[in-house]
Parts: sequence; structure tokens; C-alpha cells
Amino acid sequence: MSAEEEENAAELKIPDEFLKAKCLMNCEVSLILEHKYEQLQQMADDPMNQMSQVFEKSLQYVKRFSRYKNPDAVRQVREILSRYQLAEFELCVLGNLCPETVEEAIAMVPSIKTRGRAHDDEAIEKMLNDLSLIKKFE
Amino acid sequence: MYLKSNLSWNVVIPAESLDAGGLMLQKAIITRLMADFAAKKATKDLGYFLALSTVGKIGEGKVRKQSGDVIFPVDFSCVTFKVLPGEILEGVVHKILKPGVFLRCGPVETIFLSHQKMDDYQFVPGENPYFMNGKSSKIEKGVVLRFLVIGEKFVEIEKDFRVVGSLEGDYLGPVS
Repeated sequence: MSAEEEENAAELKIPDEFLKAKCLMNCEVSLILEHKYEQLQQMADDPMNQMSQVFEKSLQYVKRFSRYKNPDAVRQVREILSRYQLAEFELCVLGNLCPETVEEAIAMVPSIKTRGRAHDDEAIEKMLNDLSLIKKFE
Repeated sequence: MYLKSNLSWNVVIPAESLDAGGLMLQKAIITRLMADFAAKKATKDLGYFLALSTVGKIGEGKVRKQSGDVIFPVDFSCVTFKVLPGEILEGVVHKILKPGVFLRCGPVETIFLSHQKMDDYQFVPGENPYFMNGKSSKIEKGVVLRFLVIGEKFVEIEKDFRVVGSLEGDYLGPVS
């Protein structure tokens, strides 16, 4: 990616380090942070001191905006979405926003339709169906 | 977007904490790393630092000649949060003003949505001001909005990001 090229996540023009880094869905972050919170509470010396504001605010946010609460469901969501050759970033946006229609999914992640990839509407529809099934059985 | 990053930092252990060896030293290094991590808050490139997840290799310590402090290189993985332009996020409205509204999303407190980027929403003044559009959709305090990130800026002194968003686009706006 050239330096002049403007960053734009909608077209997957995001800095290289983020394409390589592992993106996390809200529900995954929620599991990690809640586990961390419990650990900190058990630690002898002053847990409040170790918990930054950034941590607290993020924990509140991901708890509220997690579409899936059950750890098994969270794992399944990633597993199902990873069958569709999505970039990490796309996978997490879909898992976070849970679009209901194909049109909505494309509006949320325009890049799934570009770059000449084999995502026809049917494949996207199937993916959304799979996702809503997890939600139903959670 | 939340990310899992692998980083390597130098952790400084003051000479006076070095009296006990073995496990105590490892604990001192990790405690110190956690304190450094929490104090760091955010950087321009990586965004906000949320939590350490795993500590990997702790390298050979090097003694600082002047003070006797020991520096250890430590590899670890952590969770970070960075707002990317073009990304669609959900945030909670926490302030309503005539020129626009402020949202909160994860660790970011100041996400500004200008009135000009809110499609046909109009400001309604009063004790509890709000925005409303022709279809009676209301944006008031506490409402969840799905918005598009237009830009972000890092304020070095506060170690905090300022984000500008927009509601112009399909499927953006209040979420029930």
C-alpha cells in the first residue's frame, strides 16, 4: 500500500499491520476481558490499580454489544464465518453487526462484493442464515 | 476494531526489587509490565491498550550501569482497540448539541457526528434536546447509533483519539 493512498476500511485499504493482526469480535473481547477481570480480582495487591479506565470502558461496551454470550457460540461464529474466505476484518464486522439481509451485509462490508471474489448473493445469504441459527440455538 | 497484537517491550526492574530470585523476579517483571501497560493508555499507531493476554518469552536482563536497574525484554500479546476510517461501528449517544451529537464507543469518548452528516435529522431544542427526522426517528441521549467512521486524530498530550463519524449511508442510524 502506498503512503499516499488513503486508508479506507470499506475497501479493505487498511494498514498492513492490521491486515496481519488478528481482529477480534466484540463477543471474543468480552470473554477475554471478563476473564482478566476475574483474575485481577483474585490478585492480592490492589486490583483497582491495575485496571485502567480504558479497560473499564471497553469491558462495559463489549458486554453490551456482544451478540453472542455463550463461549461455545462465540467459537462457532468464528468457525462458520471462516469458511467463507473473508479477511479477518470483514469477519469481525459481520460478527459484530449481525446483518439480517444480503443488502445490509454488503452495506456494512462493501469489500465482500469487490476484489473479484466469489461471493454471490446466495453464498452471503447462506452465511447469514448460518449465523442466525447460532443465535437461535444459543 | 479490536485487535490482538504481539508486542515486545523493555521492562525496567529497580535494583531494590532484585533481592529475591526465581519466581519472585518473574512476578516482579509481570507486575511491572502490567503497570506500564495500564499507564501507556494509547499510541497513535496501535490505538488503545486494553489488556494483556499472555506473556511470552522474557529475555536476558541487562544491568544499567548508573542505577543498577535491570532491563528485561518481554514478549507479550495484548488486546488493543483502533478506530479505522471506513469502518462501521455502534456507539451510544451521550451528549446532544445544536451542531451535532457526541457518541461513546468502547474506550473512545469523543466521537463527533456533525449535524451536516446526519442526513435529514433536525435539532429540536429544549431541556432534553434531541434530533428527529421526517420519519419520526429520534436521536436522543442513550440511543445506540450505527455510524461510519470518516476520520480519526490522535491527541498526543491526552493520549486520546478524536473521531468523526457520519450517518450518511444505507443501514446507518439508530439501532433498536
